[in-house]
Amino acid sequence: MALTTAPDPTRRGTGSVRPDANRRGTGRIRHGEGLAGYVFLSPWLVGLMGITALPMLLSLYLSFTNYDILTPLSEVEWVGLANYERMFTSDPSWWHSVRVTLSFALIAVPLKLAAALGVALLLNRAWRGVGLFRGLFYLPSLLGGSVALAIVWVNMFNRDGAFNSFLALFGIQGKPWVNDPDWALETLMVLAIWQFGAPMVIFLAGLKQVPTELYEAAAVDGAGKFRQFVNVTLPMLSPVIFFNLVLETINGFQGFTAAFVLSNGTGGPVDSTLMYTLNLYITGFTNLEMGYASAMAWVFLIAIAIITVIFFSTGRFWVHYSDGEDR
Amino acid sequence: MHPATHPTASAPDGRTYRTPLLRRRLLRGLVAAVVTLPLVGAAAACGDDAASDGKTTISIFWWGGEARAQLTEQALDLYTQKNPDVVFEKVWQANQGYFDKLATLTAGGNPPDIFQIDDNFLTEYAARNATLDLKPYQESGDLDTSKFPPSLLQYGVVDGKLAGLAAGENTQGLVYNKTLVTENGLPEPTTGMSWEEHIAWAEQVSKKTGVPGTMDASAIDKAFWVWLRQQGKDLYSGNELGFTVADVTRWFELWKDARDRGATPTPDVIHEGNATDITKQLVVTGKAATSWVWVNQMPELKKNTSDELGVIAYPGDPSGQWARASMYWSVFRGSKNADIAVDVINFLANDADAVKLLGTDRGLPSNLDLRRVVSDDTTDEAMKQSIAVETELAKTFGEAPQVPIKGHSKVRAELIKAAENALYGRVTPAEAAAQFVEACTAAIAS
Repeated sequence: MALTTAPDPTRRGTGSVRPDANRRGTGRIRHGEGLAGYVFLSPWLVGLMGITALPMLLSLYLSFTNYDILTPLSEVEWVGLANYERMFTSDPSWWHSVRVTLSFALIAVPLKLAAALGVALLLNRAWRGVGLFRGLFYLPSLLGGSVALAIVWVNMFNRDGAFNSFLALFGIQGKPWVNDPDWALETLMVLAIWQFGAPMVIFLAGLKQVPTELYEAAAVDGAGKFRQFVNVTLPMLSPVIFFNLVLETINGFQGFTAAFVLSNGTGGPVDSTLMYTLNLYITGFTNLEMGYASAMAWVFLIAIAIITVIFFSTGRFWVHYSDGEDR
Repeated sequence: MHPATHPTASAPDGRTYRTPLLRRRLLRGLVAAVVTLPLVGAAAACGDDAASDGKTTISIFWWGGEARAQLTEQALDLYTQKNPDVVFEKVWQANQGYFDKLATLTAGGNPPDIFQIDDNFLTEYAARNATLDLKPYQESGDLDTSKFPPSLLQYGVVDGKLAGLAAGENTQGLVYNKTLVTENGLPEPTTGMSWEEHIAWAEQVSKKTGVPGTMDASAIDKAFWVWLRQQGKDLYSGNELGFTVADVTRWFELWKDARDRGATPTPDVIHEGNATDITKQLVVTGKAATSWVWVNQMPELKKNTSDELGVIAYPGDPSGQWARASMYWSVFRGSKNADIAVDVINFLANDADAVKLLGTDRGLPSNLDLRRVVSDDTTDEAMKQSIAVETELAKTFGEAPQVPIKGHSKVRAELIKAAENALYGRVTPAEAAAQFVEACTAAIAS
């Protein structure tokens, strides 16, 4: 398309970060700086290798064993696929946690993205004090998966919490939301949705990128606000929507902290908040079945990978990249 | 900028060279620093047990509150006073998450030499050979158990090995809000009331005071256990469950009836009571008139309420209760200083000064001679009360059951799940019972 820019010459060649590095003389120095790059990366590389890659490989090995944490690694027994078999054939709590996690992600993620997009659209206008609101809406995301926030949430949605006091103003008798197996997970969903700040900021950035002439052209052609949204904003925003969708889905699947805090680490009441990762934690650290928990972790990893691949393969049907048709 | 400066090994003879050379030096320094820093960190993390000054460091880990921490630290300092070449690395935390932490420490190759454990986990650790067998020390006399009640000692034996030394003795205690009951002109509950009488009493309390009379005990394993023993059953028999679906159904129905009659709080409050720790038991938060706890927890409960509390045995025949090791001290099998560690737990159990310091925080002292001394000396009202009740109950104690088997922590979790499923009305007591037994069977088989 016309918007395609010529390849930036400074981005070819050395791989150095600063354009002026090109001007700095011989290849030897450049080579040295390449090394320096790796040196500066080394804390991260060491971290990746030592803290991520090695333990991951180890857990892959452990997933074929009966490792129980207390027995030294040298004494673990190889059990083949038994852990994987158990998961799919004879562990109702595993299936239950899969259901809980799926329903959490399927409901919370779309609603969170919708909320993020809605608020981003409102905050995209040039109001007085709009910056303040952007900050305020982003604030909950800064608190992230914090324990403190989860504790506040539990207290707000208790039988005598703030939310029920609010309902009482209208004469509505509230429920003990967090202590009711029919509502505990929903309470966690609301918490997740409330933290829409991060995708909202990304949506905002995306909205700023949409060229105003497209709206003008659409307006000239007689499109109303809604048509403009459907036919201009959404397609132009689709890469950002895609990005947020992938990221938030992965996040949604990995929800742990709030469920842990709400249920005192049990997944209760009656397993209603037994998210996959929480089940994994209980299996590994409370029930001491670390081999089995490792197998659960690998199945989880593969499941998330598959879902991500599905997103990417469907993406070409609805994600519209404006900067080149070869994408 | 710099016209193709060729950095060579020659000495810096002009300003032009200084900058690049300095930069290279800096770079090299940085390379060294960045590469070695993590190694240094790792090396520092692997600090050795034997300190350089010839002292031996014994690491010790327990759960509990502030008060317990103070008492334990004082007792350990006393040991250091008497054995100046032994120092302690003391780590403690709240009960919640304690066993997760203990497991992670072990997995990380950094287990404490001595750790506190209870009967919920003793077999889990002993069966996996994580605990040192204390029998040889007992036989050689390094670990003096001559003043221990035999049943208390026996309660630390797993597969013929002495896996832990009882740090104290306790038994089930039903704690009630005395102020509330007497102010409303209601009779105080007494030891020996049947379960039906207890529930009828609680119903009366609910009606008269507006405070639910009793916490629902259906999810509480220690109450279920006592009840089973009163029916001639047990929680475990060998490596199997000691009860049937029919037993559990009756237990769950007993409590369904109690809930239907308004003797208990609402389901969400019961759930809160099941999930909470000792400081927020419903009897101290005012959400119920009674709570199901251990007798030695009286002082801790008393700290959290201004009301007067009373404590009796659980309902039914009190001989269903037994002298339980409230918790144990165990030594890690891989401890490099096992002999010293054993000497420390021997000290904590048998040294007169140490035992006096520790008081009844972990239950009545295991050493019977010292137990008498501590009982005579204590000035804490709540502690006096718990000692009096436990001494009284000791007359009727039944034989101690076997230590819970491997998988017990899961069985407890399953009981809560099944009981709550019934209490929220999602399943009938019979369905919940079947679900519980099935889950338990799976849990203890794996």
